[in-house]
Amino acid sequence: MADGEILAGFLAPHPPHLVYGENPPQNEPKSQGGWEQLRWAYERARKSLNDLKPDVLLVHSPHWITQLGHHFLGVPTLSGKSVDPIFPNLFRYDFKLDVDVELAEACCAAAADAGLVAKMMRNPRFRVDYGTITTLHMMRPQWDIPVVGLSANNSPYYLTTEEGLEEMDVLGRATRKAIEQTGRRAVLLASNTLCHYHFHEEPDPPEDMSREHPHDYAGYQWDMRMIDLMRRGETREVFRLLPQFIDEAFAEVKSGAFTWMFAAMGYPEIPGELHGYGTVIGTGNAVMEWNLAKAREVGRAA
Amino acid sequence: MTVVSAFLVPGTPLPLLRPDNPPWAPLVAGYQAAGEALRASNPDVLLVYSTQWIAVLDELWQTRAHLTGIHVDENWYEYGDLPFDMQSDVELAEACVAGCKEIGVSAKTVDYDGFPIDTGTIVMNNFLNGDDARPLAIAANNVYHDGETTARLAAMAVETAKAQGKTVALIAVGGLSGTIFRTEIDIAEDHIADATDEEWNREMLRLMESASIEHLKQRAGDYAKAAKVDMGFKHLSWILGGLGDNFDGATVHAYGPVYGSGAAVVEFRPA
Repeated sequence: MADGEILAGFLAPHPPHLVYGENPPQNEPKSQGGWEQLRWAYERARKSLNDLKPDVLLVHSPHWITQLGHHFLGVPTLSGKSVDPIFPNLFRYDFKLDVDVELAEACCAAAADAGLVAKMMRNPRFRVDYGTITTLHMMRPQWDIPVVGLSANNSPYYLTTEEGLEEMDVLGRATRKAIEQTGRRAVLLASNTLCHYHFHEEPDPPEDMSREHPHDYAGYQWDMRMIDLMRRGETREVFRLLPQFIDEAFAEVKSGAFTWMFAAMGYPEIPGELHGYGTVIGTGNAVMEWNLAKAREVGRAA
Repeated sequence: MTVVSAFLVPGTPLPLLRPDNPPWAPLVAGYQAAGEALRASNPDVLLVYSTQWIAVLDELWQTRAHLTGIHVDENWYEYGDLPFDMQSDVELAEACVAGCKEIGVSAKTVDYDGFPIDTGTIVMNNFLNGDDARPLAIAANNVYHDGETTARLAAMAVETAKAQGKTVALIAVGGLSGTIFRTEIDIAEDHIADATDEEWNREMLRLMESASIEHLKQRAGDYAKAAKVDMGFKHLSWILGGLGDNFDGATVHAYGPVYGSGAAVVEFRPA
């Protein structure tokens, strides 16, 4: 099989607050809502994802942190109860996901061929991290599309940011190669927040939106500057500024998902569609889409 | 005396999962010696701080009465599972939450089915807390707390135990130098990855053995930076705070490598 392609990439952050605010049956804690603008942003992203009809969703999560290489979920079905270690009061979620093991193995092999340490996670009792689960729920609550889950190797923190992100670039290119070789129609999900400064106390109730706002003005300004560039398709400038953004806004994109996704997509200079922006305990979160399938159609028509 | 024993131990699961691997066997033996010392000290409760239980908003205290299950480490899953079965000292943990507020630290209880217990706590409990398992009061590592705050938390917890008439084994779970091998190695050939780390580790262990407390505290910050020490070596602050910056010496039951990083089992003699 060949001729696989990446249909789109989404910046799809994972605050568990969004699941809590939505009150799905899988989540034990119940809320009075909250974070509506971000949840409605995800509603728009869900519609777009539905139209794309992908074979598989690939998600890179900063909450599966690995020290020795880049790891891939490699068990056909994983299930259990995911309790967020940071916000257990908000997220206690019963999940079951199907893994596209063939593609995961191809990604792992391609990463190894590219010189990275890459490993398949084969333990059926493995607890899938809450970042992966939150992003997947917010994008596709039906859980009817197979998944490839990638860990976040700690290289951007253990090495320099630049060295770490170079590894994520290699990982992204390898991911693209595996998708093409296996013939999958894939959507990529980068599970990252932007500015990551946050408040240290939680309101009571947590969904009291009168207490929700950006942690600080400088971080907000950074988020808007980066989103503006992304909306205009100035990808080269985004990546030129990325290390500075990470340093000054403590941006979670440091963990690598954003770079992995763009490397896999070939750093397209196309406008990203902002489905919405909002804060969660002060952190900046944007739900954005780069629809490569649509861009190809436009290119063909022109 | 409230603190009847005190231990600094590593939280990596590798020695527990591969006890027969020669470079890790000394850590297993050290852990066993520490377990015997702990039992001999006959504490009412284990007062535990693990660098791997990460908190962000508050200081969290485990108050689930019975913790049981099977844990799989997110890095070393291929080596096997980590079953656990622990009892919490809920009365003490709840009192510590109240005590945190009295020292100006925001704190919460954690009492949820399925809450992910960290690898370090499970490894420590499996090694140290044997058939005569004693209850634990477990505190999280809030990543925004510095060493001074961590020391104040430990001191508060010891005072809280004292007020309840309990004796404690003070336990800090965390590693030493943090330089690791970033490619696959033959685990039978494991060794400390960086020679400078090795020097630093040994210097700090000597300072512990000789109870050079002021020197230890002065050097801890530089050591943490130079040797990439697990969580800035805040676990030492837990020990020092709980012991009131006062101990008579320490026995290093074991020191060795774990995939290039440094690990030691140290028993402190309370003054």
